[in-house]
Amino acid sequence: MIAQQIINAVSLGGVYALLALGLAIVFSIVGLINFAHGELMTLSGYALLASLVLGFPFPVAVLVAVSCGALAAVAMERIAFRPMRGASVTSLLLTSFAVSSLLKVVFQNGISARPQAVAMPGWMTGAFSFGDFTIGVGPSISIVVSALALIALEVFLRRSVTGTAMRAAAEDFDVVRLMGIPASRIIATAFLLSGLLAGLAAILWVAQRASVDPLMGFTPVLKAFIAAVVGGLGSLPGAVAGGFLLGIIEVLLQATLPGAIAPYRDAIVLSGVIAVLLVRPQGLIPAVRAQRS
Amino acid sequence: MLSVEALKIRYGEVEAVRRVDLTVGSGEIIALVGANGAGKSSTLGAVAGLVPAASGKVVFDGVDITGLAPEAIARKGVALVPEGRRIFASLTVADNLRLGGAVHQPAAEARLREEEMLELFPILRRYHRVKGGNLSGGEQQMLAIARALMGKPRMILLDEPSLGLAPQLIDTVFDLIAELRRKGLTILLVEQNVALALEIADRAVVLANGEVVLAGTAKELASSDLVRQAYLGA
Repeated sequence: MIAQQIINAVSLGGVYALLALGLAIVFSIVGLINFAHGELMTLSGYALLASLVLGFPFPVAVLVAVSCGALAAVAMERIAFRPMRGASVTSLLLTSFAVSSLLKVVFQNGISARPQAVAMPGWMTGAFSFGDFTIGVGPSISIVVSALALIALEVFLRRSVTGTAMRAAAEDFDVVRLMGIPASRIIATAFLLSGLLAGLAAILWVAQRASVDPLMGFTPVLKAFIAAVVGGLGSLPGAVAGGFLLGIIEVLLQATLPGAIAPYRDAIVLSGVIAVLLVRPQGLIPAVRAQRS
Repeated sequence: MLSVEALKIRYGEVEAVRRVDLTVGSGEIIALVGANGAGKSSTLGAVAGLVPAASGKVVFDGVDITGLAPEAIARKGVALVPEGRRIFASLTVADNLRLGGAVHQPAAEARLREEEMLELFPILRRYHRVKGGNLSGGEQQMLAIARALMGKPRMILLDEPSLGLAPQLIDTVFDLIAELRRKGLTILLVEQNVALALEIADRAVVLANGEVVLAGTAKELASSDLVRQAYLGA
């Protein structure tokens, strides 16, 4: 029972971490909190549904869904955010809200406002047991996938030139451009990565719920935003730490709160968030910014 | 090699540069001097593409580069070492250098170039794996210059390289600038330390309130009354 709860907690935390990381990558480069990030997740969910309905094998469907998330993120930047480059933070924020609302309406009117069942493979809903412990396959896969994605991203950011340039751009974008590295390449890569992560998160999310609806992305991305703020907005390690922390606290409260207090779970979590920010206004692991006189 | 013609720069209502004309010949060091707020850094910023020109022209090697993006200008072989060094504090010295040369040459060539830079700046070899933010001011200035040189620029724009450095470090930096010129690099140097700048430069341009008030060879300027009274304290 405890083992199962821990697995659930880490698995939910992993999904929040992937989403928070996507928000943080974009924020660290362009200073935009992309509230349409949730719709990337929803879109990937629908892409998974469509691929499975069309009879693609599961691995192919996953590939299609994740690619759709990534491509949609790049397209979103091209169409909605690039024309706004250099605009104020408020304008960017409003643009992202507009994109988010637009996509929600498209999903509602173009597909259906009601949840659509997604036929996930049977083995994902199974469980395996060692002695007294029973552990769900879905949450375990979710943990492994999140961990692999985090490692892959870390390697990319450390080893590749583009990844290094992205870390540098988070600190001082102008100087990266002075090195001859095109701004549009850095920004497009940031969106591509955030879309990939949203796509992966969508699959892990759908795997545990077996349905997709137009508002699917809203709650997890709201949580991921909270996680990113707690971790330190724009800080990638902070986003991961915040994501895991939030997921783990949510599940532990869910498991331990007595029935009468359980409805207040989110209120308790958010009070905790406020407490953290009172003590550490820059978040748990603050982002590095160039200090200029 | 570089010519700036009737350059004007505005920040909102404020005219930072009213009119600057200057030319830099191949292999020359030109010093751009003047008081704080005279428009020196803005002029360099406009050449590098970081600051938009309100009017006027910047021509490099016969090509009009006015209004090009900074990355496009960098690819043409103009490197800016910005004021305050602006090295990437959270990246290692090695990564700072790597980014400097990333788009200008194939990876194998970039490694050779990095080796040359480590020969030129032994201190950077010692701190190769150290984060840029942990270096001292002088070391950061070396890193900023080495990072700009990684892309094998034909012209380098140095913005206040002596700012905030201890006197003996200033000498080291200026010896280095002299050496870079001997190797054939063209240099446009912005410097508040006028005496030092005139010592090293071939020609100099004096800016005041966004306009050129005096231009000539470094020798002429060093002996002109205006420069002696206003900047050399004689």
